[in-house]
Amino acid sequence: MASRSKLSGIQKQVLSLYRGFLRTARLKSPEERHRIESVVSAEFRENARNVDRKNFVYIEYLLRRGKKQLEQLKDPDITGLSTLEINKCPAGPTVEKSPIAN
Amino acid sequence: MAAAMSVVVSAKLGSAAVLSSWKGNKISSKNLISMRTTARRGLVSLRSPRFRVFCAAKSETVGKVMQIVKQQLALGDDAKVAPESQFTDLGADSLDTVEIVMALEEEFGITVEEDNAQSITTIQDAADLIDKLVADKPPA
Repeated sequence: MASRSKLSGIQKQVLSLYRGFLRTARLKSPEERHRIESVVSAEFRENARNVDRKNFVYIEYLLRRGKKQLEQLKDPDITGLSTLEINKCPAGPTVEKSPIAN
Repeated sequence: MAAAMSVVVSAKLGSAAVLSSWKGNKISSKNLISMRTTARRGLVSLRSPRFRVFCAAKSETVGKVMQIVKQQLALGDDAKVAPESQFTDLGADSLDTVEIVMALEEEFGITVEEDNAQSITTIQDAADLIDKLVADKPPA
């Protein structure tokens, strides 16, 4: 593990995205917040383990996708995140819009 | 605008009684901005010896930080955590470090800027920054 001052630009972007998700999760109801945090944390750790660190194209794609999902999650009408697994395909989290705002 | 400026000044000078009474007598809103810069420059030199005391963060803060770090990394009570401990030595990866900083923010009611967040690597770093931010935080 490199020391933190040696983080690359793309690593910083990933961490900043992670921070963004955790910050946004604070704005939701406590139980949703907990769900969001565990989903987001699982997703980041999963990718950190499984994605080749030199596969920049894929990482850039994940970053873009994450940013879009974060934008959606920031909407106050959005109350939670949920994940879908189809045939154990690693599906990314999808943003779920609840009809009733709590 | 002028009102906002005066809030800044009083927040910065709040602890220095002499300066604040001086401010009350002399500063008119017209030349507030220039007064503010000089006042600030004076304040830095006034403060620097005290500031060093701040830098060695209060042991209370260090203890609280240690407790949160332990909790966040799911370390047992018997785990050895020292103020000089690097988060990475305690088994934290960069994602854990982000989580630690977020947990500290919440505990102390502060906001850590992105750049500062990246430079925190030890418990002492975190405690120093927290004490600085808490001290700078304008009274609610």
